Amino acid sequence: MTTSTTDAPAAGCHSLVLRLPDGADPQHLLSGATPDPVRIGQTSVPAGADEPTAEARRHAESSRPIHRDGPPLRAVVLRYTDGTADLVLVAVRAAVPPAALRRIARRALGRAAEEGGVLPGVLPRPTVGGGPVPAQRSGPEWGLGEPELRGVVGSVRIDLGGLGEHAERLFLPAIALALSRYAGGDRAELGVLDLRDGTGTGEVVRVHVVEEHPDCSGAEFLRRFDREPVTPGAPVTPLPPAAAQEPPAVGVVLSPAFEEGGYTAALAPVFPLTVQLDEGASHATCRFDRGSVDASVAHRFCAHVAHLASQLAHGPGARPLAELELVPPAEREEILRTGGADGAGDRAPVRGRIDRAFERVAAAQPDAVALLADGDRLTYRQLNDRADAVAAGLSALDVAPGSLVGVCLERDAELVVTLLGVLKAGCAYVPMDPRYPAQRLRFTTQNAEVPVVVTSAAEFPQVPEVRLLSPAALAELGADRASTGAHRSDQGDDEGDGPAYVIYTSGSTGTPKGVVVPHRNVLALLRATAEDFAIGPDDTWTLFHSGAFDFSVWEIWGCLLTGGRLVVVPYWTTRDTEEFYDLLAEQGVTVLNQTPSAFAQLVRTDQRVRRGLALRLVVFGGEPLDVRMLAPWFARHPASDCRVVNMFGITETTVHVTAQTVTPRDVVAGSRSVGRPLPGWSLSVRDERGRVLPPGVPGEIYVGGAGVADRYLGLPELTAQRFVLDGATGERVYRSGDKGRLRPDGRLDHLGRLDNQVKVRGHRIELDEIRTVLLGAPRVTAAAVVVNRDDPDDPASSRIDAYVVLDAAADGATDPAEVLAHAKAKLPDYMMPTTITAVAGIPLTINGKPDVSGLPDPRNSSAATPAEAQERPETHESPAAGGITDDILSIWSKFLNTPVGPQDNFFTLGGNSLLVVRVLAEMRERKLPRVAPKQLYEHSTAAQFVEYVRRLAEATSVPQ
Amino acid sequence: MRLTGKAVIVTGAARGLGRACALRFAEEGADLLLLDIARDLPDVPYPLGSSGQLEHTAALCERAGAATVTAAVDVRDSRQCALAVDRALDRFGTVDVLVNNAGIASPSGKIAHDITEREWSLMLDVDLSGAWRMMKAVAPVMVDRRAGSIINVSSTAGTVGYRHFASYVAAKHGLIGLTRAAALDYAPMRVRVNALCPGSVRDDPVLEGRMLAEIARSLEVPVTEHEQIFVRDQPMNALIEPSDIAGAALWLAADDSRQVTGSVLTVDGGFTSR
Repeated sequence: MTTSTTDAPAAGCHSLVLRLPDGADPQHLLSGATPDPVRIGQTSVPAGADEPTAEARRHAESSRPIHRDGPPLRAVVLRYTDGTADLVLVAVRAAVPPAALRRIARRALGRAAEEGGVLPGVLPRPTVGGGPVPAQRSGPEWGLGEPELRGVVGSVRIDLGGLGEHAERLFLPAIALALSRYAGGDRAELGVLDLRDGTGTGEVVRVHVVEEHPDCSGAEFLRRFDREPVTPGAPVTPLPPAAAQEPPAVGVVLSPAFEEGGYTAALAPVFPLTVQLDEGASHATCRFDRGSVDASVAHRFCAHVAHLASQLAHGPGARPLAELELVPPAEREEILRTGGADGAGDRAPVRGRIDRAFERVAAAQPDAVALLADGDRLTYRQLNDRADAVAAGLSALDVAPGSLVGVCLERDAELVVTLLGVLKAGCAYVPMDPRYPAQRLRFTTQNAEVPVVVTSAAEFPQVPEVRLLSPAALAELGADRASTGAHRSDQGDDEGDGPAYVIYTSGSTGTPKGVVVPHRNVLALLRATAEDFAIGPDDTWTLFHSGAFDFSVWEIWGCLLTGGRLVVVPYWTTRDTEEFYDLLAEQGVTVLNQTPSAFAQLVRTDQRVRRGLALRLVVFGGEPLDVRMLAPWFARHPASDCRVVNMFGITETTVHVTAQTVTPRDVVAGSRSVGRPLPGWSLSVRDERGRVLPPGVPGEIYVGGAGVADRYLGLPELTAQRFVLDGATGERVYRSGDKGRLRPDGRLDHLGRLDNQVKVRGHRIELDEIRTVLLGAPRVTAAAVVVNRDDPDDPASSRIDAYVVLDAAADGATDPAEVLAHAKAKLPDYMMPTTITAVAGIPLTINGKPDVSGLPDPRNSSAATPAEAQERPETHESPAAGGITDDILSIWSKFLNTPVGPQDNFFTLGGNSLLVVRVLAEMRERKLPRVAPKQLYEHSTAAQFVEYVRRLAEATSVPQ
Repeated sequence: MRLTGKAVIVTGAARGLGRACALRFAEEGADLLLLDIARDLPDVPYPLGSSGQLEHTAALCERAGAATVTAAVDVRDSRQCALAVDRALDRFGTVDVLVNNAGIASPSGKIAHDITEREWSLMLDVDLSGAWRMMKAVAPVMVDRRAGSIINVSSTAGTVGYRHFASYVAAKHGLIGLTRAAALDYAPMRVRVNALCPGSVRDDPVLEGRMLAEIARSLEVPVTEHEQIFVRDQPMNALIEPSDIAGAALWLAADDSRQVTGSVLTVDGGFTSR
């Protein structure tokens, strides 16, 4: 590993070290050799020529770049104590190309006296001075460089011995192939600086590799590389120089051989990662800027290039290119181990059922408080008994063990009782949120083929052959049997292989898909976390999230299976940050699970209200965390008092996959890491063909181990696509569709979705699902859906903008509002587009995908229809003149980022739960009456809201 | 090795503090452009550095493993300053550190109004303007690279007054003013400028320093008596050693002080703290 600087002048210089013959006078020999006289520096080195001091001095002199304003050639004589001397020539390559340097060297050695006159080839120096410092070149996406090390150069030697005489012919294709695999596609960019002919100064060209034609063999690939340049579409396409705006991140320097002495083709890496290959040498040297490329990543890259080159050299030539290995088997094993693949083998697999585990806890501490919900207070024994009644009720209904049971209840004690009861009956629950639209509830009920839905919602849609029962009715049915234990399923499954729940997630086909998760997965999740998080009977948790969101699985069972106290948070309290904050303080909650968006609101409240909190563990999940928002939190709550853990997870892998404890140091560094896999879970990053990718290289996250779900309900084909048997390990793994990269230390960086699934305020949304619904509306012939943010740094400003092409030939007026009404009947609120804009056509990219950048701005487009414009009466009356109205309209305008009229609806103009909180906070600051969030939901037009606030103001201003 | 591969210019390098700094930098891996006027000036009543002494400094540095270039440069001549910097660039490709050490202590020893016009101008031309001229020649290189450290060797006379040294005190105070202003000019370009203020430094025979002797002579007191006065007045009761100054200069030159600019670092045994 060497250290030097990588400024552009150094990369543009080359050097040659010559041993001078005894008595040679380089000043004399070089006189007249160059257009300008060469001034020769003399330095005495206090050592013999072979001593380390001398070597260090030679290295220092031959790596010292030329200043851009000076002469293009520097000559220095190093005189050693043993009487020998070296001449070090350093030159600007563009002015003194390799051939000219060679002639100067021969002249200095006295070998070319006959070649009199000024040496040809010393060119006028290109004007580079005066301009700004060249922009920093960016390294490869997979480099994982440490920005603080920018300018520090690392080097790796690549042995070419095994390649024989073909080394040079094999090397370039091998690098190109490695790069294309790293890039995760069929193309790669590679800079080539060819100095071998000796006369040219070498130009950077871009090589465009179209890799892996299905029928392209290794031999064919090499042949085509030799024939460069070849026709477009073939593996190698040099791009015209005009396209080379910025040098590629990776490049090769092909350097001529110098018999005269030691030659260095570039004093600094020409590209952020540069592989230098000397003509006829038995090794190549990779040099890289450690600001762009991590040393271990560079080492692996070099090993992969060598491995590919070796396969190209020795393998059967007819072998398809796609079969060549990037990563040798031993390294693949090591990478899989880094991702935790061996962790599962260390432990006996977790077996058992959730309900049985609960019963053990209840037996151990029957009188401990299990549940607190809106006044209800249930001990473990009471909870167990009431759940037994539910189970007995199901049994009385002849719901067979193994059935799926729909549960559509508000967040209250009944919800938890019912979920546990369903499990006790040997059934699996299918949670549904009562706030989902009727069509979605009906879809889920039918798709899951549940015989029974436990719900208190009067408006739950009727589905043929499905019984709807309230929890009370169910418990009543089972009241007689509960005590006898007759409900108990004796059909075994003590192993916990059977399903515990089926949670529906957004699906790319336009319909949600049910994920079937077995009991043992949940128990494994607890075993993986309970010890590390030290969760136990002293903890108080909240049930904050909808039962239909799998974060609730962790909240409910994480608490109840470890003997803790679960505080059920009523829906309206989840929408009211201040009320929720008070609940946290009053109930002494110790374990809190939140999406980062929701927690950001809580941090603001915490800064303002400053009550004492008992929190000792905060777990993030549901969406990517921007750690910077935690700075004010850590200022009030040291990490030693309250541990903050960021977890990445997917419904299909049982809530969580990785855990990363976030520290104030991570906050400063802006870390994106989601941490290492949980014990028993494993992950790896793969390319499109499922091949394991090395650390640093982004690809699809594969998850294996104890959390992998059973299947998608009723979707065997999709199940086979996503839950695959891994050829590398023989285990079942889930292809997440998430983009990530492994770090050399085994931690994962989560880089978003590979497809167009997005997260909006914690909700996982498949844009195609919305698009499919829009396309189902009458007269819509094409649609596109995009997510925009008014403020790129503010997740709360995310909104879904839809574009539709309406069939003008159809009867009736073309009106996007009708499309909206159609969508509203089918999509939950969080998936509803904020705007629908009618356009003449959806612009497409060359690949045939919608070109988002070509769509008009929905805010400025005259065709844009703020949702529900249809419902807006043609009136411009102001509901009330004066202060409150103006204040409220201006506050709404400010946060909705659009002018607001009295009849506008907060939510159709892009309002959402986070903006509700901000609007109410702003009202407080302007000394307007304090309003609960629920009221803004219930009075959601400006006129209604103003009227409500005015009444409130009048009520509170009554003299006392 | 804290200065490996760094190119350093030291003015007034033939002997004394200049030599002490050059040697210390050479030991830390720096390569050096060593500058000195290398001749006497008629108006300065004591011998200045010689070319022989300058070459001797270079030889000592090369023995320590440095590459050196020497040049006779009068800092009163901006053209000579610029040429010297070109020499450094030709040989080393860059300049990382400039130590503005060249300076004279006399003609002095007079009450302020007795100083002649010529004596006054000479003192300011060498001790203040000379540093500015070197800075003018070197700074563009550093600004270009967004890196560099300039060390102006001022004096305790840059922060307090001394009787009968008005022109010297004015020049050394001026040098601190220059340091502070230039530090602000160059801070956005990440070039640092700091002042170093030695107290009374012992004349080391190896370094062939004679500053203290010349000051004593200006004041018409024997050197030993002059030394004793300083030792008595200095809170730490000791003369400053040249290595103390070289160590401070090394710190200002190296990346250890990367957030230090516009500072005035006194190495005076507490003398100016009273």
